[in-house]
Parts: sequence; C-alpha cells; structure tokens
Amino acid sequence: MNAPSLLLRRWDQRAQNLEQRLVRARSRLGNRLNGRLVAAQDVVELLECVIEPGDCVCLEGNNQKQADFLAEALTRVDPSIVHDLHMVQSVVALPQHLDLFEKRIASKLDFSFSGPQGARLAQLVADRRIAIGAIHTYLELFSRYFVDLTPRVALITAESADPQGNLYTGPNTEDTPLIVEATAFKNGVVIAQVNEIVSRVPRVDIPGDWVTHVVQSPAPHHIEPLFTRDPARITDIQVLMAMMTIKGIYAEYGVERLNHGIGFDTAAIELLIPTYAESLGLKGKICRHWALNPHPALIPAIEAGFVESIHCFGSELGMEAYIAARPDIFFTGHDGSMRSNRAFCQMAGHYACDLFIGSTLQIDLEGNSSTATLDRIAGFGGAPNMGADARGRRHGSQAWLRAGREASLRYGHSQRMPRGRKLVVQIVETFRDHMLPAFVERLDAWEVADSAGMPLPPVMIYGDDVTHIVTEEGIANLMLCRTSAEREQAIRGVAGYTPVGLERDRRTVENLRDRGVIRRAEDLDIDARSASRDMLAARSIKDLAGTFLEHLQYRFAGGYSCGAVTPRVVGVVASGNLEVLIEAATLDGACAFDIDTPARGFARVWQAVISDFFARHRLGDVRISINDNGATPATVALRLDQAVEEYRGVSQR
Amino acid sequence: MRHRSFYEATARQRIVEILDAHSFAELVGPEQRTVSPHMQALQLPVAFDDGVVVGRGTLHTKPVLIAAQEGGFVGGAVGEVHGAKIVGLLERARRERPAAALLLIDSGGVRLHEANAGLIAVSEIIRAILAARSDGVTIIAAIGGASGCFGGMGIAAACCSAVVMSEEGRLALSGPEVIETAHGVEEFDSRDRALVWRTMGGKHRYLLEDCDVLVDGDMEGFRAGIAAAMEAPQSLTLEALEREQAMLARRLQIFSSSRDGRDVWRTLGWPNPETVPLVPTDVFLAQAAALRAA
Repeated sequence: MNAPSLLLRRWDQRAQNLEQRLVRARSRLGNRLNGRLVAAQDVVELLECVIEPGDCVCLEGNNQKQADFLAEALTRVDPSIVHDLHMVQSVVALPQHLDLFEKRIASKLDFSFSGPQGARLAQLVADRRIAIGAIHTYLELFSRYFVDLTPRVALITAESADPQGNLYTGPNTEDTPLIVEATAFKNGVVIAQVNEIVSRVPRVDIPGDWVTHVVQSPAPHHIEPLFTRDPARITDIQVLMAMMTIKGIYAEYGVERLNHGIGFDTAAIELLIPTYAESLGLKGKICRHWALNPHPALIPAIEAGFVESIHCFGSELGMEAYIAARPDIFFTGHDGSMRSNRAFCQMAGHYACDLFIGSTLQIDLEGNSSTATLDRIAGFGGAPNMGADARGRRHGSQAWLRAGREASLRYGHSQRMPRGRKLVVQIVETFRDHMLPAFVERLDAWEVADSAGMPLPPVMIYGDDVTHIVTEEGIANLMLCRTSAEREQAIRGVAGYTPVGLERDRRTVENLRDRGVIRRAEDLDIDARSASRDMLAARSIKDLAGTFLEHLQYRFAGGYSCGAVTPRVVGVVASGNLEVLIEAATLDGACAFDIDTPARGFARVWQAVISDFFARHRLGDVRISINDNGATPATVALRLDQAVEEYRGVSQR
Repeated sequence: MRHRSFYEATARQRIVEILDAHSFAELVGPEQRTVSPHMQALQLPVAFDDGVVVGRGTLHTKPVLIAAQEGGFVGGAVGEVHGAKIVGLLERARRERPAAALLLIDSGGVRLHEANAGLIAVSEIIRAILAARSDGVTIIAAIGGASGCFGGMGIAAACCSAVVMSEEGRLALSGPEVIETAHGVEEFDSRDRALVWRTMGGKHRYLLEDCDVLVDGDMEGFRAGIAAAMEAPQSLTLEALEREQAMLARRLQIFSSSRDGRDVWRTLGWPNPETVPLVPTDVFLAQAAALRAA
C-alpha cells in the first residue's frame, strides 16, 4: 500500500484554508466578534478577512428577497485586498451587484436572470468590465454549485437568527438552503444577514452549525412583490383565450398537475377555474396539484375546492396570512408560515408536472419563443426548466401519455416504443401593446446574441418543446403536424392579422383545421361572443383581498424637535402618489406615523422606508400622516423628505 | 429650478404662484382632516383637504378669496365636503366683498362615488356663484389643469364673471369619453387628442367667446390674465344676460353645420384653420382681434 505521492499531498487544504480565514477574522476583530454574531459596522472588515482574491462568491440574490445589506457591504471592501471575485448568483437584481464589477472587486459572473439590471449589465459586458461565464436556467446554475461552481463564500439573508446561528428564513426561503448546502459542506464561509436576532427562532430552516457568522442588518431585507396581477386589467380577449385553454387543453388531456407562468393571460385562466371550469364539470379532474408561487389570482380556485396542493418557489408579499391559514394546501412549517424552496419547486415543475403554460413576447415560425429585447441581457430564470419536455421522466399519467401518443405520430410514422410527453403551451394575443406583433419571422434574440457576443440566441422555450400555441384565433397543436411546412402553417394559422398570420396559405390552414391541428373557438363549441370579464371569479384586487385600505402605525422614540409648528402637506393622493401631512405633536420626543394605503401586505416595505426616513432626520414630537394611493418606495421617500424640508421652512421659492 | 407650468402644478403650487408671495392663508386646512365620509365608507383613499384648497390672500395687493381644485385626486371631482368648502368660500365672499373670488378649476365634474351628495354639492356651488355675483362679487374661473373643466364644473365656470384659460385648458359640459360612450366613436373619438383640443381647448373657447382671457400656460400667464380679468368685471345684469343670449343664438345659427373646430375657424375667416393650434398665443390673439374687428 505504498503511495508516496498520496502521502505527500494534503487532502484537507480547503479546511486548512477556511481555518486561516477564520483566524484572520478573529485576530482583526478580536472581541468585536461575539461568537457567531458580528455587528453591522464590522461587516466590511469581516469580509476583507474571510474573502480571498479569486474566490467564487455567492451573494444571495433571489427572484424576490435580496441580501441587500451584505451586497452593499461587499461594495465597500478594499479592492486591493478583495478583487477578481467570481460571482455566482441566480439573480442580478440590485445596482450593488454590478457596482462590484465597476469597482473591480469582482470580474466574472455566472447567473440566471438579471431583470431590472439587464441594460446596465449589457453595457458593462460591452465595456469588458464583466466576463460572463454563462447565462443559465435556475436548475443549471444550482446544479453547478455542486459540480464546478461551488461557492467559497456565501453571503445570504434570512428573517431571523438565534445566537447559535440557527436561521429562520420565513416564507421567502427561496434559494437559501441550496446555497448554504453547497457552501457549508465544501468548507466554505457562510455569512447571513438577518432582520432580527431572537433568543429562539420560530423554526430552524438552516442549522446553526452550517453558518459561520450572523449580522443583524440595519434595515429588513428587500423583497420584491412579483406575482400579483390586478384582475381589473384582464381583457375580454384574455378571457376568451383562457376559455379555449381550459376546454381545449386542460379538459381534453385531463391536466391535473401543472405550473403557470406569471402574467395576465394565465391569471385569467386561474380566475376562470371556479366559474367556467366548474360549469364544465371539471372539478376534481383538472388543476389539482401545482408548482406555483402563491398567486393571489388562484385564491378563488382554492376556495372553490379545485386545488389540493401547491408547492412554491418563493412567497408573495401580502399572501402570508392566507397561506398560513391553509396548511392543507401549502407547504408550511410547524410555526404556521410557509417554506418555499426554489430548487425543489423547479425540480417539481420539471419532473412532476404534466403542463406548463406561459406567455412570451415573440414566437417565430418554428415555435421558438423569446423575451429577449435589444440592449439588455435579461437571462432566463426558471421558465425554460418548466417549459421543456422532461426527457428523463418515466412515470405515467393520463395527460403525459396522451401527449406522447400524439407526438409519436409526428412526421406520419408511429414510434413502436410508447413514451410520454410534457404539454408546453405558449399563450399570447397576436398583437401586444402598441400593436407589436407577437409572431415574427425572426426573433430579436438573434441580434441580441450578436451584439452581446453570446454563443447562441437567448431562446426562452425551444420550438421542439412547444406542444400548443393559444391565441385569440384558436389553438395550434404542433404535435400533430407531419412536416415542418405544416408546422409553419399551423403557427401562421393562429397568428391573426400579424404579417406572419397574413402570409398563411388558406387552403393548408383549412386542411389543418379539418384535421384538428388548428381548433377555433367554435370548433370547441365556445361562443366567442360569450367571452366576458363577467366570467372572472374576481374582477379587482379588492375582490381578492377583501377590505381595501390597510392602516399602519409606527412610532420611533429618540428624535429631536425642530421647533416648527405650522402643519405642512406635500403631495397629492393621485394614482401612484401620496400625500404627507406633517405637524407638531406632544409625543415625548417620538415620531409617530399613521398610514392609510390601498396596497395591502406591504407592511414590511413601509417599515423599512419609514425606518430609513427616521434615521435620516431623527425628527421628534412630530406626527406624520399619510394617505397613500399606491406610491412606490422611491416616491414615498421623496415626499417624506419634501415634507420635512417644507416643515422646517428650509424651502424657499 | 422650480417648474412654472400651471398645467403640471398641484393645487397648492398654483395658489402659491398665482397669489402675492407669502400672502396665502388657508381655511379648513389639511390638519383639520375634513375628509370625505363617503370615500371612507367605500374604503377608498381619502385626501386631508378632500381635493380642494381654499383660503384668502392678495393678488397685486388686492384682497382675494381663492379655491383651487386638485385634479390629481379623483380627477378633481366634486364631493360633498369638497363642494361645501367652495360654497363656504363664496358665502364668505358675499360678506367680505374681496376684490374677487378666484376658482382655479381642475375637475371632471361630480364625484360619482358620492352620488346624490355630489350632485347636490355641484348645484349648491352654482347657486352660490350666482348669489355672490348678484351681490356684486367678481368671480373668476381659471382653467388650465390636466383634468380640465367638465360636467357640473363646466356649468359653474360659465356662470362666473370671467373665464381665464390656457390653450391646454379644456372646457365643456360632457367630457370626451362621455360623448364617445353616449354617442359612439363616429360622433367623437376621445382618443384623438387633437380633436379634443380643437373642440374644447382654450383657443377654440376663446374664439367662441366662452373664454374671456386666453393666456400662456405658465404661472405668470395665469397671474397676469386673472389680474386683467379683475380689472374688467362683468356685472350680472339683465342687459348682460340678454347680450349673452343673443350671442348664443347667433353662434347656433352660424355654426350649426360645423363638425369640427376647424370648420368653425374657417367660418370665422381664419385663412389657414389647420395652423390655429400651432401659432403662439400673442400671434393668435392679434389675429383673432383683427378678425373680430373685420
């Protein structure tokens, strides 16, 4: 058993290196380290001790919640100490995520989705400040955390922590467990920012011994509400498309397990389940199990008894109480709140759902669809994982097997070996806003790929995965097309008055209709004239949410009176705006806030905005009353600052 | 730099800019929280001033009472509290006899949420205007906000001693969307913005003599225009009403076949009617004066 070379090599270098990092932190911070706990003002120094140049770093950026305090702290490290980091994170959402590259703290990026930062990301790539490794789907990036992109340092966020480092992630668990698993078990450093330190967490989502350090962030982490669609904006045309989808696809195939994309098209389907689907006698036959974020639009279907289970990628602000009250439906902890998990839900959507339906911006003649637009690098997120046939799937179901039979007839010859097929449906009105056609000869994605130097065009759903396209003109079943020419005509045949649709060959399209490849509303026995918003189970957010206005109150002690006495009002209760009334009050040096808002469920956001405002001005003996009409945090902060300026009389016209 | 656009300003900004500096004192201010009980009952957002700011101040050192509607809050629509504040101001004008009562109107009309209470409020405003005028109070309507002047407030404006408008201001009884809904898009396409301004905008209203003073849409324009209107008060006499009645009868006769503002302008003798919306205010006013003299 002599293997000298093996004896010479050390096999625990990562553990040794981890120890060196922790020793550096202990010697620099000394007694400022309180066990696992570290104070907010010491975090930049801590990061400079535990991060080494070239490290692979995961800065938790989810679809919704953001490790925003740690992101900001990382932008403040000394670039001569910490540089050339390789960032691996699912979502590039905050400006700080890109500041890292401008400040030359990081140089390489592997990610999934960039959303609001897409334009700036494209510019930084063009300026060669960022080298992009690859743009992934969520499951791909998560998988690589366990193969070749394992984080050396993970900067994560949670709702609360106890002194032992046990973390409670709350309903927005999202990516956290996966990131920590990959990092902690490969001798990495895990630093968590939490909204509060408590003596006992409501439930343990991450065990404390996987966590290196915990810091209480000065403000609660940012969470983006993403999935709430106001039913008031659903159109009659979307109702018609939803009726065709329910009758022509859900009922036809018996779709019991499914995932919906985000948008008004799918919200319309959700709101027709308890009305239209019920009238077709489909309860218990369709839409029983879901991999889905907690969409408010699904509430009526849940209440009507259609839905038996929902597993969620993340949560949605405002839905917490509803979810907690329905533990039979949602996955909840013994504390009552939900536990979401993006990785598991993506996996569930890919392997255990029979149907994905989503909207898109552009579809070409092969059925490829893309949401890419010029001058932006937006990435993919999870839609491609949902909207793809799961080639590794082996368990049967009615919907999967029927789709498999249809697909095997493709090109006119039947395969002998039976195999199932996932239903992947694209639902679009033929023209989008501003009369932009949804059907095009060539996707903008080609130009995006050219201009950003991508190895291939960013296609969201590949045409060979798409089984159906639904428009106001009908349903095209692409599985039943025998040739690629037929497939093209099937797409033209539902493309309406777009240039692509006008170029159809009318005889071929009529022939396809005879064969059931294209089905119009009347072929499904749906009277298009009956499509009306009247059929929606809810017609406004108010219908979904019950009472409308939410009253919030906050009080901050320890402010200073500025001596002003004349009440001031700033702003207007217009849509997306608010008014702020500021006046003197005897409050023992406290600053009291009374807020009426129609946007329910944003208490945490309000608290964060108001806390920051109080920290900026430290006003005491002042009452601030707000009538809100759906203003964004930026507008709220601006009006508050303007009110203080007016109140103090600094403003001179 | 503060913007000086009347159109984009809030009600409070308009008052501050129209009146003499630091002269404004608000009545029933927002700190009194006299909000709409109807909106509260409907669980809809309320405004501390119910969308109208009232008070007193001076304009070129002359005492005035002033009300400014906030077009951003439910389209400046008149509810019970909102209306009562304007009526109270006009009753005060009858007692105090200021140089003028100024109504900065920015309103789609009655607030539908308040149903009969809103309708009664509008009728009370109209009655208060006429009562104050018959007591000799000069009441000036200024129209130049994003919500225009429609519905019951359109009637109220027509009852005032003088109407000051900018080109951006719109004055009519039924708003564009209401006409389209009631009579069809062939009758009136409310999305045709140029058509809306050709039939309801300040220049057209000036040529039809519904508007007495046409001003540029900035604060200085309105301040000067209102001051000018205060100098030439129209008293509420039988002769004045008969003159107005004769003007309306003449107008009906001359323009009854006109389908569009352009037809009216052509009949009035404008050489290039399609250029009317484009010419600057001063050029427009000079040309209009020349045509009237002819």
